[in-house]
Amino acid sequence: MKASRYLAAGAATVLALGLTACGGSTGSSSSAGGSSGGAAGAPTDDSKCADAEVFCIGLVTDTGKVDDKSFNQAAHEGAKKAAEELKGFYKYVETQDAKDYAANMAQFTNKKYDAVVTVGFLMTDATIEAAKASPDTKFIGVDQFYDPAKVTVKNATGIQYPEDQAGYAAGYLAGLMTKTNKIGQVLGLEIPPVQKFAKGYEAGAKASNPGISVATVYHPAGDNAFNDPTWGAAEAQKQLGQGADIIFGAGGNTGNGALQEVAKADGAGESKFCIGVDTDQWNTVPAAQKCLITSATKELSQSVTDTLKTAQKGDFEGLTTMGSAGLAPFHDFDSKIPADVKTKVEKVVADLKSGSLKTGVTL
Amino acid sequence: MSANPAPPAQEGTAATPPPPTDTPRDETPAGALAFILRNQSFTVIVVALLGALALGAILIRYQGVSPWYAYQTIFHEALFTSGGLARTLTKTSPLILTGLAVVLPLRVGLFNIGGQGQFVLAAAAAGWAGYATRGSGFLALIIGLVVGLLVGAMWASIAALLKTTRGVHEVITTIMLNNIALGIIWWMVTPGGPAAYKNTSQIPMTGPIDDAARMPTIAGLPVAFLVSVALALVCGWMLKKTTLGFQFDTVGKNKFAAGYAGIGISKVILLAMAFAGALAGLAGAMEVHGVMHHFEPAIGGTLGFDGITIALLARSNPVWTIPAAFLVGILRTGAAGLQFATGIAPEIVDLLLAITLLLVSIPVLGKWIFRSRADKVEAAATSWGN
Repeated sequence: MKASRYLAAGAATVLALGLTACGGSTGSSSSAGGSSGGAAGAPTDDSKCADAEVFCIGLVTDTGKVDDKSFNQAAHEGAKKAAEELKGFYKYVETQDAKDYAANMAQFTNKKYDAVVTVGFLMTDATIEAAKASPDTKFIGVDQFYDPAKVTVKNATGIQYPEDQAGYAAGYLAGLMTKTNKIGQVLGLEIPPVQKFAKGYEAGAKASNPGISVATVYHPAGDNAFNDPTWGAAEAQKQLGQGADIIFGAGGNTGNGALQEVAKADGAGESKFCIGVDTDQWNTVPAAQKCLITSATKELSQSVTDTLKTAQKGDFEGLTTMGSAGLAPFHDFDSKIPADVKTKVEKVVADLKSGSLKTGVTL
Repeated sequence: MSANPAPPAQEGTAATPPPPTDTPRDETPAGALAFILRNQSFTVIVVALLGALALGAILIRYQGVSPWYAYQTIFHEALFTSGGLARTLTKTSPLILTGLAVVLPLRVGLFNIGGQGQFVLAAAAAGWAGYATRGSGFLALIIGLVVGLLVGAMWASIAALLKTTRGVHEVITTIMLNNIALGIIWWMVTPGGPAAYKNTSQIPMTGPIDDAARMPTIAGLPVAFLVSVALALVCGWMLKKTTLGFQFDTVGKNKFAAGYAGIGISKVILLAMAFAGALAGLAGAMEVHGVMHHFEPAIGGTLGFDGITIALLARSNPVWTIPAAFLVGILRTGAAGLQFATGIAPEIVDLLLAITLLLVSIPVLGKWIFRSRADKVEAAATSWGN
């Protein structure tokens, strides 16, 4: 259900901000203030959203919470930052029932908000419907893809991430680092973003080490596909047992389970390594630090902030806005990874970004 | 949900046998007090609701928001904003049915926790059938509803059969069947699955049903709501006026006596569970055809589990599931508006419902209110487990 959970536990900055600024689930950024009419209980001031000079941003989650240390939180922090930088107003609603997407977006459009961020690919269709109904509001769909053949609205854009590039870079590194010529990956639900990570990882590994074998396992579909650390751990153990020495855990909490299992194995950090996903998991999954050489990341918060700024300035570039993806720092493993490996990986990352190197991943 | 609710009624009677000299001692005036004493189970519910609202008020106040304003927002959002009432009724309809899906088995002494599984599996089947028969117009709606009804009934019957043939406790089987149902629906609609719809966004779902196969709205009232209310009334009539209803209640009160009286216990158990599954399944099918117009796994939400709250709030009375479901519908509809207006997380509604449920299901409240008359507190709400 909570499909966006494949974005593993959130970014470092996000976490830090979340702990200090967010402070639990007291709601919108303005609620703590309680400035006007605190007794009346309406600590919000979005009455001026209809004015052109006040930029109001709304955010609707896909049945997730904005403090989930993951996808929703990253988008939430990105939107909040945009509101701060643009001196605008920001408020969010957490969806509880998938049938409420339209009603929750309507809360914002009724109040003439200028931009609404919808988080997660499950909201793709609902977002387009809302964009059609409210042409004056800009809609930003995080991790959503709108088919140009069917969608003609100009006030919506879907942010997509080149997960295959992040996976490719991670796989390339793994291919150079492996001693057993066997690596593995433990994945969440078999849906496009996860598949892109996985296929990129395999392609990258084969590019740097043609003789490598990659063990791949997706979570058998279930509503806990991104929240099944026990299964993730068991699969990681299986792959270790089959001789894999580097394991890529990509699937929210499921992947985190795999990372933590590798961290517990004999030789973790010496002969066995793990690679995280989505955000720099060095910060979000401290238990995996013993083996975590890097993470295949997508820069979610930043892309939300940037796209909101574009929305404030004028029109979107098009139906799809490309976010960026790459590798997180090596942290403690910076000294353990040979210099020539680092140079090669850096070159691959740069080439992928510039477009001179293609991952060759197709779904 | 507490797993082992103590049978309160029996306890109550054992501890305080009805004193025959009770009546003269009780010279308190008639009027309001007498009314309260005559309607003990109703009073317990009202007290439980007020208690939940009071506890909720403290928590809302703690977040710096006026509780009065918060509750006002919920009700205003759910009833008086444009389209609010329609959304509330839309949410109420499946809740009535999932409530009934708990009420009927409760009357024969079974606790059906499987409403969720029966609901989602039936919804998936109905969505699939509705899409497969696209082009056949209105007929696709009928097919979808019938398929949903049958699949729900079939799924619940598995638990009933295990109960009657092997004596497996229905709480265990229905919970496990929920998980199996979830596994099946995800397999069905995940890309590559048999019912998966190839859409560009790759959302796990079945294909959209035709416009002609959608359940309409008549004069602002969703047809699903009318059907649900009618079914609640039919269930009430069935339990009260028919032989089958009598058999249900007799088996529920004492199945050994029922057996001696010649009632086929297995048949009654099977029927109660099949009816329950059919009602939950119909709710799922109507959500597909009336609300979402396709199936996706998130359709279930917490509807099946809310049904348990509703059944206990309604004191196992089918007709009372209507107001109970309406109340839950109001809270669920208003929750998002509450967060928009005050920033309070919508989970406050879960909290309110949980507290209410706790207060309704524990016998303490009833005993505390009717100290000297604990023996009179009805056992309906806690009669599972026998």
